[in-house]
Amino acid sequence: MSINSLLETGRTALNAQKLALEVTGENITNVNTTGYSRQTTILETAPTTLERGFPLGSGVKVAAVQRSYDGFLQTQIMGQNATYGQGKTSNSALQRVQQLFNEFTTDGLGVSLQNFFKSWQDLTVNPQGAPERQAVLSQGQQLVDNFHRINSNLNDVKSDMNKSLEGQVSDINDTLNQIATLNLQIKQIEVQSGPANEMRDKRDLLLRQLSQKVGISFVEQPDGMVDVSLTSGQSLVVGKDAAALSLLPNAANSGFYDILLTPPGGGPAVNATAFIGGPGNTQGEIGGALLVRDTMVNNYLSELDELASTLASEVNGLHSAGYGLTAASTGLDFFTPPAAVAGYSGQGGIGVNIAAISDVAAADADPTVNGTGNNKNAQSIASVYDKFLAMSAGNVTLEGFYDSLVGKVGVGVQNAGRAESQSDGILKQLNNMRESASGVSLDEELANLIKYQKAYEGAAKLINVGSEMLDTVINLVK
Amino acid sequence: MRVTQNTTANLVLNNLQVIRERQEQLQQQSSTGAKISAPGDDPVNTQQILHLKSLTAAGEQYARNITNGTSLLTMADSAMAGMGDVLSRAKEIAVAMSNDTNNANSRTAAVNELQQLKNQIITLGNTQLNGKYIFGGFKNDTPPFDAAGNFTGTNDDINIEIERGTFLPVNYAGDKLVNGGTPAGSSGTDIIKIFDNLVTALNAGSTSAVQAELPNLDSAMSQVLAARSDVGARMNRLDGSSQVNDNTKLSLTKILSNIQDVDYMQVISDLSKQQTAYQAAIAASAKISQVTLLDYLR
Repeated sequence: MSINSLLETGRTALNAQKLALEVTGENITNVNTTGYSRQTTILETAPTTLERGFPLGSGVKVAAVQRSYDGFLQTQIMGQNATYGQGKTSNSALQRVQQLFNEFTTDGLGVSLQNFFKSWQDLTVNPQGAPERQAVLSQGQQLVDNFHRINSNLNDVKSDMNKSLEGQVSDINDTLNQIATLNLQIKQIEVQSGPANEMRDKRDLLLRQLSQKVGISFVEQPDGMVDVSLTSGQSLVVGKDAAALSLLPNAANSGFYDILLTPPGGGPAVNATAFIGGPGNTQGEIGGALLVRDTMVNNYLSELDELASTLASEVNGLHSAGYGLTAASTGLDFFTPPAAVAGYSGQGGIGVNIAAISDVAAADADPTVNGTGNNKNAQSIASVYDKFLAMSAGNVTLEGFYDSLVGKVGVGVQNAGRAESQSDGILKQLNNMRESASGVSLDEELANLIKYQKAYEGAAKLINVGSEMLDTVINLVK
Repeated sequence: MRVTQNTTANLVLNNLQVIRERQEQLQQQSSTGAKISAPGDDPVNTQQILHLKSLTAAGEQYARNITNGTSLLTMADSAMAGMGDVLSRAKEIAVAMSNDTNNANSRTAAVNELQQLKNQIITLGNTQLNGKYIFGGFKNDTPPFDAAGNFTGTNDDINIEIERGTFLPVNYAGDKLVNGGTPAGSSGTDIIKIFDNLVTALNAGSTSAVQAELPNLDSAMSQVLAARSDVGARMNRLDGSSQVNDNTKLSLTKILSNIQDVDYMQVISDLSKQQTAYQAAIAASAKISQVTLLDYLR
C-alpha cells in the first residue's frame, strides 16, 4: 500500500467530515426556520480494492444528504389545516352574528317586540290618550328600526365574506405559481445532482399554507414534481403548470362572486363555486367564507324575514279591521304590507304605515257611532303577543320563535367554536409530531459538531503522519 | 420521541395560553356576575332565560294595568258612595213629606232640595277621571248624562288584561246604575224618574204619590249598593291578582338568578387557582429554557 493511498484516505475523510460539518452547520442555523426539515449526512465506506492480497476500503464517502420527512404526517397536517381554516373563518363571522342577537348585553329585538305589545296594552286602558297613541307609534318605529338594523348587519357579514374572497384567491394563485416554479427547479436540480432538500422543504411549507386556504391533496411524481389537486379531484398544479382562480360577480346571487378555475396549462374556465370549498363547504378558509355567505347567514335572514312578515300580517289584519278616532280611519295597515317574505325585514320592507296618532285603530267599531273609548281592537292586537301562530318552527308565539332563532344562533356559534378549538388542538399535536420527526434539536447538532470536528482532527492527523512518513522515505536516500 | 427546542418552546407557549384563556373567562364571569354573557355560551339555557325575561316583562305590564284599573274602580266606588248618600237624604225628605203635616212652604223647600239632589245624582253620574267620564262606556269623552238625566253613553265593558288571557271590566254602565237599564227602567229602578215623580207629587200636594215612591227609593238604594259591591268585588280581585303577580315576579327572579347568576365563591376560588397555576407554569418554563449544551461546550 503506497503512502499516497494513505494520504488519499485522509483526504476523503477530510472532505466527508467537512461536508458533514457543513450540513450540521446548515441545521444549526436553520433551527428556527419554519418548515425546515433537518438533514443528516449518510457516510459510507468508499469501494474496496485489493491491497497486497487483502481487500481494503479506500476511505469514506458521502452517500447522501438525507432529509427527515414524513409524507404521512404531511397529508394529515394538510387535512387538519383545511378543517381548521374553515372553522376559524366561520367562527369569526358567527361571533359577529351572535352580537346582533345578544340579548344579554343589550336590549335587542326581543325587548323591542315586548315593548311594542306593551304599548298596545297601555292603550287599552286609555284608548283616546294622545301619549299612549304616540307611544304605540314610537315603539312600532323602534321595532322596525331593530329589524332593519339586524338585517343590514347580517347582509354586511355576507358582503365582508364576499370581499375576503378577493384576497384569498390572489393568495392562492400566488402560492400555486410558486409551487409550479419550485416543481420545475426541483426537477432540474435532481436530474443533475442529489435531492434538492431546501426546495422540497419550501414546497412542503407552501403546500401546508395552501391547505389552510383550500382543501387539497397531492401526488408526487417519480421525477420529483408534485401534482396538486382539490379534494374533489380538479387539478391545481400539474408539473410546471399552475391553475388560476378568478372571481366573477353572479347576478343570480345578489352580485356575489362565483369562483372560476382555469385548469393548468390553459383551457376553458370552470365554475368552481360548488366544489372548491370541499363537500358541504367544510374545507379551507374559502369553504368557510362560502358557507357563511351562502348558507348560514341566509338561514338566519330568512327566519328574521318570517318573524317580521308574520308579525306584520297578524297586526295588519286586526288593525285594518279596526277604527281610529274618526270614522274614516279604518282599513289602514299598521305596518307596510309584506309583498314577499324574503327580504321583508330589511330597509325596503317592513315600515310603519301610519303617521297620525288618530289613525291608531284601538276601536273595533265606528267610534263616531259607538264611542271613542272602544278599546276592543287594541285588546286583540295586544293579545297577538301571546297568540300561537303557525310558523316554520311549529305552533309558537312570536316571542317563542324569536327565542328559538337566538338559540339557533347560539348553537351555531357553539359548534363553530368547538370545531375550531378541536382542530386547533389536533393541529398542534400533529405539528409537535412533525417537529419531533423533522425538527432540529440543538443538543443533537452540537453533539454532532463535536463528533465531526474530532473526526476531522483525526483525519488531519492521518495526513500529518502520512506526510512525515513521506519525508522519512525521501530522506532515506541522500 | 425526539424533543427539540421548538417543541419545548411551543409547549411552553401553549400551556401559558391555555391558562390565560381560562383566567380571562373567569374574570369575565366575575365582573358581569353572569355565567352566560352570549347565546353561544349555553344555547339551551339562553332560550329559557329569554322566555323567563319575557314573562317578567309581561308581569310588569299586568301590574301597570292593575294599577290603572284600580284607580278607575276606586273612582267609581266613591261616586256610588256619594249617590248612596244622596238617596238616603232623598228618602228622609220623602218620609217627612209623606204625611199631611206639612204646609206649602215646607213642600216648596222639599221640592227645591229634591231638584238639587237630582242634579247631584247627575253630576255624580258624570264623574271624570283624567278627562274620561267613567260611567259613559265607550262614549266617555262627553258627559253621559244630560241635564234632564237621560243617558247618552254606551254600556260596553272596558276590559283590561290583568293576567294572560284574563280580562276584567273596569267600568260600570251608567245607565244600569242610574236609569235602571236602556230604555230607562227596563232592568232596574230609574232613579231620575223617582226624583221627577217626587217633585211632581209634592207640587200636586199628593202625599199618597209620595208614599208610593218610598219603596222605589228603597230599591234604588239597593241598586246602588249592589253596584258598589260589584265594583268592590272587582277591586278585591285586582288586589288578589296584584299579589299573585308580585309573588310570580319573585319566583321568576329567583329562577332566573339560579340559571344565570354566578356563584362568586366558586369563581373567585377558581380564579386564584388559575393564577397559582400561571405562576407555576411561568417559573417552570423559565427553568426549562435556561440550560442547553452550549453552556457546557468550551
